[in-house]
Amino acid sequence: MTDNAAPDRLTTTFAGTRGPLFRKALWGSLWTILTLGFYRFWLKTKLRRWYWSAIRPGGTPMEYVGDPLEKLLGFFLAVVVLAFYIGVVNLILMFASLSLLASNFTAYFVSFLGVIPIWFYARYRARRYTLARSRWRGVRFGLKPGAWGYAFRALWHWIVTLLTLGALWPRKTFYLEKYMTDRTVFGSANLHQGGQWQMLMPAFVHVLIGAALLAVATFETWQGNLRVTYLYALAGPWFVYGVIHYTVEAKRILANHKTAGSLGLRADPDRLKITRIYVFGYLATTICALLPVVPIITLVGMIENERLNAIYDPTIDTDLIYGLPVSVWTALGIIAYFAVFLIWGVLRHCFVTMPLWRHYAETLTIEHPSALAAVSQKDRDEFAEAEGFAEALDLWGAI
Amino acid sequence: MTERTIITVDGPASPAAPARRVRGQCLYLDGDTAQPQACPFEYADAGQALLIAHQGTTLRWPYADLRALRDQAGDQMIIRLADDPTQRLIIDTPEDRDLIRARAKNLDRYASHVKRSKLAMWGLAAVASVALIIFVLVPVMADQLAEYLPPEGEKALGDATFDQIRTALDDTGFSALAICDSRSGVAALTKIETRLTEEMDLETPLTVHVLNHPMINAFALPGGYVVFFRGLIEEAGSPEEVAAVFAHEIGHVVARDPTRIALRSAGSIGVLGLLFGDFAGGAVVLFLAEQIIRADYTQQAEAAADTFAHAALLEADLPPSAIGTFFERLSSEGQQEAGILDHLASHPAMGDRIAAARAAQPEGAKFRPVLDDAEWAALQGICD
Ligand SMILES: [Zn+2]
Repeated sequence: MTDNAAPDRLTTTFAGTRGPLFRKALWGSLWTILTLGFYRFWLKTKLRRWYWSAIRPGGTPMEYVGDPLEKLLGFFLAVVVLAFYIGVVNLILMFASLSLLASNFTAYFVSFLGVIPIWFYARYRARRYTLARSRWRGVRFGLKPGAWGYAFRALWHWIVTLLTLGALWPRKTFYLEKYMTDRTVFGSANLHQGGQWQMLMPAFVHVLIGAALLAVATFETWQGNLRVTYLYALAGPWFVYGVIHYTVEAKRILANHKTAGSLGLRADPDRLKITRIYVFGYLATTICALLPVVPIITLVGMIENERLNAIYDPTIDTDLIYGLPVSVWTALGIIAYFAVFLIWGVLRHCFVTMPLWRHYAETLTIEHPSALAAVSQKDRDEFAEAEGFAEALDLWGAI
Repeated sequence: MTERTIITVDGPASPAAPARRVRGQCLYLDGDTAQPQACPFEYADAGQALLIAHQGTTLRWPYADLRALRDQAGDQMIIRLADDPTQRLIIDTPEDRDLIRARAKNLDRYASHVKRSKLAMWGLAAVASVALIIFVLVPVMADQLAEYLPPEGEKALGDATFDQIRTALDDTGFSALAICDSRSGVAALTKIETRLTEEMDLETPLTVHVLNHPMINAFALPGGYVVFFRGLIEEAGSPEEVAAVFAHEIGHVVARDPTRIALRSAGSIGVLGLLFGDFAGGAVVLFLAEQIIRADYTQQAEAAADTFAHAALLEADLPPSAIGTFFERLSSEGQQEAGILDHLASHPAMGDRIAAARAAQPEGAKFRPVLDDAEWAALQGICD
């Protein structure tokens, strides 16, 4: 492809398949368990390299250049800072809450509230790190500094959202996304989020209907009118669909209003397809993840059933099961626990995350790519803490 | 998108033939613009390098410096130079991938830009700061704060901990361990309590319970909780032995040992959760970690509780040696594997403590029995 032949739009392809992803996720998750969680930095890096390289706008793959050791270093840094905060502050809060209010619940609550601004701060820093380590056509992405600004805005928009019982959720979505997008750069090009928050409201309508139905059903049930409980069967799925609908639509509308100079994005995800991926993907993942505990539950259930019916069945020796030492039960429990964790994590990539990314990628086009001629490289963003804070505060992104 | 064209391929090598020359096609990213250029390149085996024709110049990429990006989806090969962060070659055809793989021996080498020394330093700093916080700062602060916690606060902490322990020890995991409360049994236990505490000046009244669990154990919780397990009551040979354990636990209550431990775990749990992250929900690790932290009081705290118990028992006309008798029977019966009380019997200095109990008993001292036979039988059947 040469410049003169540049088309007026670039479509995106997705080059990944489930097989390699499954192997990568499985080995990585096994190692993560065996290393008490420390391999997660490598696992995350490998998966990101894979996902990024699968996405190919205009046929050229994205590239993730993050480094596992850099993530480990960032984690150490965050531990040094946060261990002090979490240890000492928790203790003081616990003491204060017990002394003043004779309850320790307040302490947990206040300590949770205290972490929220750091949580938002960390989310911005994590996005900045991820963008700084992402490239397309050899050119770096980036996010300008502004993590505390983001944290305070996020707090404010959350307060507004909570005060309006969630009705102004799209306003929060829009302003937070705008804050991030307007600070995002691709090489020398600045991204811009256009539009207004009201444009997201129509997409939110199914969430509101679902929530209203849930509220009515709950209120009536609470009033003792049990005949309306069937409303839950309507309200629950409606609300879930509403959330998915809003997620997809908000992404689409926001993407369609993102520009960088004369470059534009066009996203066209199919809501029904995304809903199918969520529903069947999570269904398949959950069923497979529960397989390791099925034998144990079945066996115990059979024995209990025998005991309740007081029928002695010579084929089942209850002592064989209940006579097992506690250590064997504990070991079985731990193995089952990790098996569930492992299968869930691995299959969610194969059945949910990857299909979602593939669909979002394949429905994305870049408009007026001739403007890319004006884009040049930006400097490397050194990043001592990588995703350390986000990592330590359990802020996992999509992957 | 890239047409690969082999321009010249020489026949079988002969002494006279020039070096084998094959040309390939790649997509070149210059690391500055967002414009991939389709560039022909040449395998210059004599110079051990790829020669890439780019906008009238020739770029020389030595085979030894070629590195392939890892974990790529699909089968494109993307090549970088070892010491150049941004330039890339995208190789689309399987033939070129094979040719490059055969020549570039360091293709899969990977070097992190993170300095190992820096990583080690921060790793040490993280371990040191966690250790400092868990083993020094949090205990010191907990000890200080425990002195100032008002009785209502201690009681709230004790209530919460007691409920947690009852839930944790229940086999089904869904309900709480039953409290034994046969009327005559409780009356007998109260009689021991009254006998022991008559002469004491306790800040808070005691809350005494027996839990229906076979473990041979007793423990104290913040806010004046003294808790026995059924196993201990049944294992004891006389009411005096129960009274001796009781006095020891009151010693912990008076010294506020359980309050310190509870405050310590409040500070430490979050820090350990931070270390192990999202790993398996953190649940298992947290549980284990909590066990480690809670496992024991310090040797000094145990010794102080013993000393307190000896004095309290003598004050109430009860024999301090009973605790020694109790320990001795436990160890002679080889009951260790049955989960004998953690903070008493697993102590390495158990022999010393038996001797100390004996030594605390004055020669020829006279004692009054604490319970009659009927009351003792009622106490042992408190869970029936
Ligand atoms: Zn003790």
